[in-house]
Amino acid sequence: MGSQQAAWAGSPAGAPGRRHGRGPGFALVWALVWIGLVIPGVAPAASGSPNPDLEDQVREIASGLRCVVCQNLSVADSPSDLAKEMRNLVRELVRQGKSREEIQAYFVSRYGEFVLLSPPKRGFNLLVWGLPFLAILLGAWGVYLVARRWTEQREEAEPAVDPAYAERVRRELQERERPSGS
Amino acid sequence: MISTLGGFVLFLALGVTLYAAAAAVLGARAGREDWLASSRNAVLAHFCLVTLAIFLLEYALITSDFSLRYVANTSTRGSLTRYKIAGLWGSLEGSILLWEWLQALFAALVVARYSDRGPSGCRHLLPYVQAVLQGISAFFLLLMTFGANPFAPLFPVPPDGRGLNPLLEVTDMLIHPLLLYLGYVGFSVPFAFAMAALVTGRVSEEWLTITRRWTVVAWLFLTGGIFYGGWWSYRTLGWGGYWAWDPVENASFMPWLTGTAFIHSVMIQERKRMLRVWNLVLITLTFSLVIFGTFLTRSGILGSVHAFADGPVGVMFLAFLSLVLFFSFGLVAYRSDALKGHGELDSIVSRESAFLLNNLVLVGICFTVFLGTIFPLLAEAIRGTKISVGTPYFNRVSVPLGLALLLLMGIGPLIAWGRASLNNLRRNFLKPSLAALAGGAILVALGVRQAEILAAFVFCLFVIGTIVFEFLVGTRTRAKTMGEGLLTAFATLLLKSRRRYGGLIVHLGVVVAIVGIAVSSVYKVEREQTLKPGESMQVGPYSVRFDGMAAGERPTHILVWANLMAFKDGKPLHTLTPGQRYYPNQQSPFASVDARYHWNEDLYVILSAFERDGSSATFKVLINPMISWIWIGGGVILLGVIVAVLPERRLALLAMRAKAQVA
Repeated sequence: MGSQQAAWAGSPAGAPGRRHGRGPGFALVWALVWIGLVIPGVAPAASGSPNPDLEDQVREIASGLRCVVCQNLSVADSPSDLAKEMRNLVRELVRQGKSREEIQAYFVSRYGEFVLLSPPKRGFNLLVWGLPFLAILLGAWGVYLVARRWTEQREEAEPAVDPAYAERVRRELQERERPSGS
Repeated sequence: MISTLGGFVLFLALGVTLYAAAAAVLGARAGREDWLASSRNAVLAHFCLVTLAIFLLEYALITSDFSLRYVANTSTRGSLTRYKIAGLWGSLEGSILLWEWLQALFAALVVARYSDRGPSGCRHLLPYVQAVLQGISAFFLLLMTFGANPFAPLFPVPPDGRGLNPLLEVTDMLIHPLLLYLGYVGFSVPFAFAMAALVTGRVSEEWLTITRRWTVVAWLFLTGGIFYGGWWSYRTLGWGGYWAWDPVENASFMPWLTGTAFIHSVMIQERKRMLRVWNLVLITLTFSLVIFGTFLTRSGILGSVHAFADGPVGVMFLAFLSLVLFFSFGLVAYRSDALKGHGELDSIVSRESAFLLNNLVLVGICFTVFLGTIFPLLAEAIRGTKISVGTPYFNRVSVPLGLALLLLMGIGPLIAWGRASLNNLRRNFLKPSLAALAGGAILVALGVRQAEILAAFVFCLFVIGTIVFEFLVGTRTRAKTMGEGLLTAFATLLLKSRRRYGGLIVHLGVVVAIVGIAVSSVYKVEREQTLKPGESMQVGPYSVRFDGMAAGERPTHILVWANLMAFKDGKPLHTLTPGQRYYPNQQSPFASVDARYHWNEDLYVILSAFERDGSSATFKVLINPMISWIWIGGGVILLGVIVAVLPERRLALLAMRAKAQVA
């Protein structure tokens, strides 16, 4: 009993043999249950409306524009009157066949760069796009260096436990070898 | 009258708190037990004084005493009493008083909890813990005395106040801010212990062990506050979303990120005595970000760089922040010899590495949020142009990092400490990976193509797989070796290693929330259409019929609403009445949204415009799939934290009672 408990306490994942039999089948059942739960959420996305392409395009473009009278909402989300007018304007421009970039440029010419919720990737703005990735890369490099130093410390530490003891072992080994070797 | 009295009480509290700090430090230096006792009494007296100040302000709010400027700003005679009470945290000055009161409360709790019991080392740390906590209190009291006085008089006394922003006159206002403040203040306790550890040179694992529960509870409040805020925003703000990467939201998210990193990395220190400096840095960052966030959102600097100079509040926050950073990093440098850890690691493939990466990603996201939040200020200061950094930016940068974090959430809890053998990896990860890949394949077959959502699903599946397997295997092993029933085995398993399994339940909650976030943002359907009475609009499987407009007077406003009937697949489902609220003191109306909430799909309707004669109205109809999962996930997180922190004795008692009932 005691040893069983010890094994139990040591590693909950270290259960003996029998679960190996159940693996793939269980995994599949599990995946199916999960998918079954997710499907109802994913399904309605496919269904249509009067002019789905146009509306989705409008929403996509409008969600990148700032409602200039709101605190921090996009034209797509904001309930304000101005945002509604801006949405209508976007819809009109999309109908005219204007591209996303042209529509953005139009709004920038009217309201300034401020209207873009995602700063254009050029000039000074490159900092805000680049720095996070630079920081993560540097951090990853740092983590790697730290982890490597730790593993190296471990490797150095192990043989050098007690130099005197190691020396004695070495001498005793030599003494033993001498009679047999000569 | 009340103005003078309130100002005097605050001034007195400032004196008492400074005395408490000084007596604690001097008493500890001189070894005078009587000074220490006197300092502890002063901490309690300070709490009583701040409580008195709260009562004074509440009294003024409830009795509509508009001779106080704060009362005139945050309430009206007509407000309901509970919103008059909530006026306390409706604006800057009162919020700071509430914060300071919670700060005083926590300091008093710490004193009450540790002055005569607690771990042995506590006695040495406590005076300095008190000093730090009183120092923080002193800052808030100074702020109120010189910058943001909640008791500032107003003359001539106006006949009625301006009142809260109507958006704040909802029950949520009574809960959400309190949760956030409890989280913010809660993190000051581990911070104070960390500083005390540095001052006394007792920089071992002691302070971590003592404050573990405080940290987790603070984290819970902060998490709860953030989730609750999202829920509130979704139901009331009328734009159909729950998170806008607004600076105010980011201000709560940043300390959450570093706090989460801290909760994880302390586990390495407790076990391997490594990362001592890093953990001190993390708790300092967490506390500093709380202060920084408040500075950012309360100083008015975000409106424009130039608004900053208008009041003393911003300057005082910035000064306090520099003081905190200067002292804490100075102390870390001063103790750098004692802090040298003996880091050892058998292999790079190990739980330690997983935790390091977890910290890297969390801090990386925090840096991104920080940069994105302050970047418009930088651009304005350097280039002179106003720019926006909003949702598209934050999503773009943080989604890949979030996915990495999700993957680590599956690996971290199960990979072995020290060195993960091939056997360990296969035993713990083979089946969850297979399940995840199978699930991914099924989704691709069903037509899901977006890389990000596929990755999110597969990783979520993987994490849940690891958690479920862990629980299954644990329960089964226990049932077999101890001869218990499966249910008993499961319960004892939870109780025996509450921290581990509580943590896994928290992870489960996070995954459930992530599924909700991913699905609702990618598969959201939104249509806007103008309808005449009798007409319908079709959105996905739903159709919504407009039956006409109506209006009515409410106690504080006039409500105009539309009567709608929603159908799903042709069958009547629900009546919906989205409307707009008109307040006498406000220029523009506020949306009053209506929705049919359901566990896997919400139908959400906003009245965006209408003709005065009721001849037509424009509606925005949203289908938000699985958005409820976010709130359910929040609930699961709460459950997990409760499992992890409930005191052992109480749980044992519960278990005994349950057993007795069964028998």
